[in-house]
Amino acid sequence: MTEELMLKLRNLKVIFPNAMGVVKAVEGIDLDIHKGECVALVGESGCGKSVTSLAIMKLLNTPPALISVDELCVGGEEMKDYSNKKMQEVRGKKLSMIFQDAMSALNPVMTVGRQIQEVFLTQKDITKKEAKERAIKALELVGIPEPARRYNAFPHQLSGGLRQRVLIAMAFACNPELIIADEPTTALDVTIQAQVLDVLKRMQKNHNTALLLITHDLSIVANMADTICVMYCGKIVEKSPAYALFKKPYHPYTKGLLGAIPKLSDERHVFVQIPDSVPNPMHKPKGCYFHPRCAYATDKCRECMPPLRDVGDGRMVRCFHALEEV
Amino acid sequence: MEQNKDIIVKAENLSVHFPVKGGNPFNRKYVKAVSDVSLEIHRGETFGLVGESGCGKSTFANALLGILKPTDGKVIFEGQDLNALKPKQFKELRRNMQMIFQDPYSSLNPRFDLLEIIGEPMVIRGGYTPQEIEERVVEMLELVGLSREDLHRYPSDFSGGQRQRIGIARAIILNPSFLVCDEPVSALDVSVHAQILNLLDDIQKKSGLTYLFISHNLAVVKSICDHMAVMYLGKVMECGDTKKIYENTLHPYTKALLSAVLDIDVDNPRERIILQGDIPSPINPPAGCRFCQRCPNAMDICAKCEPKLVEIEPDHKIACHLYKECRPE
Repeated sequence: MTEELMLKLRNLKVIFPNAMGVVKAVEGIDLDIHKGECVALVGESGCGKSVTSLAIMKLLNTPPALISVDELCVGGEEMKDYSNKKMQEVRGKKLSMIFQDAMSALNPVMTVGRQIQEVFLTQKDITKKEAKERAIKALELVGIPEPARRYNAFPHQLSGGLRQRVLIAMAFACNPELIIADEPTTALDVTIQAQVLDVLKRMQKNHNTALLLITHDLSIVANMADTICVMYCGKIVEKSPAYALFKKPYHPYTKGLLGAIPKLSDERHVFVQIPDSVPNPMHKPKGCYFHPRCAYATDKCRECMPPLRDVGDGRMVRCFHALEEV
Repeated sequence: MEQNKDIIVKAENLSVHFPVKGGNPFNRKYVKAVSDVSLEIHRGETFGLVGESGCGKSTFANALLGILKPTDGKVIFEGQDLNALKPKQFKELRRNMQMIFQDPYSSLNPRFDLLEIIGEPMVIRGGYTPQEIEERVVEMLELVGLSREDLHRYPSDFSGGQRQRIGIARAIILNPSFLVCDEPVSALDVSVHAQILNLLDDIQKKSGLTYLFISHNLAVVKSICDHMAVMYLGKVMECGDTKKIYENTLHPYTKALLSAVLDIDVDNPRERIILQGDIPSPINPPAGCRFCQRCPNAMDICAKCEPKLVEIEPDHKIACHLYKECRPE
């Protein structure tokens, strides 16, 4: 892709020191997102995917968190040294975020219209009346029926799907260059999830925004993302164009995850399972973090961490044995 | 899995309504969580119950277990009507029906160790010595993949998947014949889903348990269930043999649900039906077919009268006016 680079993240590290030791939540992550591209960050709970998103938005409290990053460029603007005040000016305009739980992300004592209007008023020099018109337009764009009436609704008067749409409308309000969606549909029902993803996809295509989609659900990713990064214990273990990843996963962890998901098209079967569970982030194993759960682990894996190496076709994998077996 | 015609649990015209607080006391409103549902579950099978949140699946399960008193209709468990039983007889029968909860974090007492948690059903039943209880608990721990060393540890020492195993051990310690699994994996990590589903399958193979498996994941239901029912706003829309329903989906709601399932199958992208709107409130369900407001194929008759649940082919029932059989005479 020759498009403009909208997010350039190099060597992001986040640690949380506490009385018992140090939790290394994110250990050196690189991410590139181009204009109009959707990159998905996939992993289980505790793998550091949400911390990554909050670190990009600079929403993590320091302390307790300690963040170090070599480069954090959004739309060509280096933001790693920005102060809180400066970030406040940029959030919404250059980058914005869609949260998982719409009920707690919205202000319960303010109408949703006012909350969207607020975004316009803080970011642009326009009158209140114009802002209101734009807010109604924004509600209409995300497919909310009767936008003028809903403008005066409080969050609790809307259903889960509509609330999530309001969040999407808010995120896209000032046409930012990068949008981070952190598990945007996890709290919703399947039919509503389909509606919301549809809206998100359409909005992304229309605005040609760079989207970082964070989720634990590979099936959402299959329908949305262009590039997929699989995370495990704070490290990216596999990075690949979406189609290729589903066709032929390289990393044993990705293989396990894909095998564990039942497909509608296959017959009754026993699920492929990954033994054990994710290690405690304070006591990560030596060597490759995945080796205690890996069927292909050798002595080498127990001793040292494999590098994230390029295996061609735009794919990268962090495994010594990824290409060996058939 | 071989199937006999032996019916273990049967719901006959089961309705559960909850009164809405406040308002005019002479004109009480009711949340019609479950209305007029009749289902049969055969011994040794896995019966899937699917639907969106608020469609009454959990209420239905609770009514089957006798946790909720039905407003109308009967539950017949192993030939006995639950509501006609005396409390003592009911307690006796209850042993045979157990439940696994959705959230393994809130369903285990954090101040009990595993011996107390898993052994509690035996203590309640009474008549066992402490040694017997401990032996049996260890046996259960090993069955679900934990060990004797875990006996005196507390739930906080375990991960979500392990906690769900503890919940399963507690549910099966009294050798029940019927187990309700209320979304047993939805609170767990993806890589642990398969472990729990396989464990449930192993237990069923060993002891011939019957499961009522409540889920909103249609792909999982397809893989593990023999029979299934699709619920919408307290009504059964389609039910019968799982294979028949997936191969020959008839009801527009089931079709929409199936098409909304996101798949990792990148080679066969399916055409998706995206339903408009949300589930209406169960306080004032629409007259006629409950699905008519969101149905892409709605006709005039749908808003007027309710379709009957009719057998369209052997072991496959649906309630939809698109099929002549469901229309009233």
